Amino acid sequence: MHLKKLALTIMALALTLFLSGICSAGTLAEIVKRGELRVAVQSGAPPRAFVDKHGKHTGSMVEFAREMANRMGVKLKVLDFDWDGLIPALLSGKADILAADMTPTLKRALKISFTDPWTYVQPCIFTSTKKSYQTIEDVNKPEVTVGVLLGSTGETIAKKYLPKAKIKSYKGGGRMILQALVAGHVDAGVNDDMSVLTQMPDFPPNTIRLLDKRLGRGKDPLSFAVRHESVNLWQWINLYFKTIRADGTYDDNIAYWFESTEWKKEH
Amino acid sequence: MLADFNFRIIFEYMPLFLNGLKSTFLISIISIILALMTGIVACSCRISGIKIIKYPAIAYIEIMRSTPLLVQIYFLYFGLPTLGLRIPEIQTGILALMLNSGAYIAEIIRAGISSVDEGQIEAGVASGLNYVQRMRFIILPQALGVTVPPLLGQAIVLVKDSALLSLISVAELTRSGQTMTSERLMPAEAFFTVAFFYICIYLCLKTFSDWSQKKLIYREAY
Repeated sequence: MHLKKLALTIMALALTLFLSGICSAGTLAEIVKRGELRVAVQSGAPPRAFVDKHGKHTGSMVEFAREMANRMGVKLKVLDFDWDGLIPALLSGKADILAADMTPTLKRALKISFTDPWTYVQPCIFTSTKKSYQTIEDVNKPEVTVGVLLGSTGETIAKKYLPKAKIKSYKGGGRMILQALVAGHVDAGVNDDMSVLTQMPDFPPNTIRLLDKRLGRGKDPLSFAVRHESVNLWQWINLYFKTIRADGTYDDNIAYWFESTEWKKEH
Repeated sequence: MLADFNFRIIFEYMPLFLNGLKSTFLISIISIILALMTGIVACSCRISGIKIIKYPAIAYIEIMRSTPLLVQIYFLYFGLPTLGLRIPEIQTGILALMLNSGAYIAEIIRAGISSVDEGQIEAGVASGLNYVQRMRFIILPQALGVTVPPLLGQAIVLVKDSALLSLISVAELTRSGQTMTSERLMPAEAFFTVAFFYICIYLCLKTFSDWSQKKLIYREAY
């Protein structure tokens, strides 16, 4: 009797979860009608997406999204999620666009559609200044523990390039790996160099350093993503990036956020 | 939409889940046993009349009960190393669960002991039984019977709390679900399976508690 009730409750719960998913025909038309573009981001990753000292969502990616909303003639609504919540938020229709540090992978593309890459990053190995590692081979040893972010490209790359090292996966943003490194729980970490370089100043000076050689074959793309059925929105975003590359808006954004530290004064 | 539920992927990830289940189970069992010991010691100190051990016990119990477990875990894992003491993550997890649950268990046992009628203790004193004999033959047999259900409740809370260890990179059950979600983007399948295994652990604990309660009452009746 007890078990039967339990099973029924679980089934009812599962059913509600599945029925709550929303199907829509034309996402773009819906956004214009609603007057609001909803974008899912993961804050805590300056300079791409973070909450500034005035409590405002900003960063390179968020500003691209804001400009998108401007050109659509609608308002922007930023929804902040943890990494694990991003794709479910997009799939359940809470957000129209996913704007996170997400690499388009074939596995992820089984669930969501990626736009053309808007920028490229380089995964790097970072370590404490107390360690003497110089090359990838120095880190690729059984006695070395490497911290990564669960589900990140850094995790995949670390497993590929450092197969002998012991990998520990953390959650809660790139800062957690640096924290674990400073605490001595890991000997090195793998993440994209832009994240590491912008988070390093938050830690005591001269505690963290990057190895000179970057990982991977050159550069790693980052893309915005939409639901599979939002084909019109997907085309619109690709056209948007072509347009702003042509009119200079794109270069201004990249120069402000990535090529100078001017933004640190204002945000 | 129910047709999208992918059982094949769940079976593909079964080894990962079973590994997670194994470590959640082991971490929980070890923590429960250690927490029980901590709780008994803390409770004995708490109810003793000696001030030098009574007040530290009160401080320990109140601090543990007034701070969130996640804060305690982060303090032990990220905070202590900067003070010069580094403990690996699994040991940190067991320590945090032990200290946290120990405080609650101390209070549960104290409630059990104070539930024994004052008159019975007086009768014990009158019969010439000393402190240890009174504890062994009068108070503890009755107190333990009363405390089994709330202790089981605390054990279940501990098992569920062990999910927080996924945040300091312990490969336990919840982390298996997170790994599957991040690799296959199937949160429904992943966390359904995780929940299913937690229910299994719950049912095991419940069966054990029902059995031990019967056992206790039966034995103490004679």
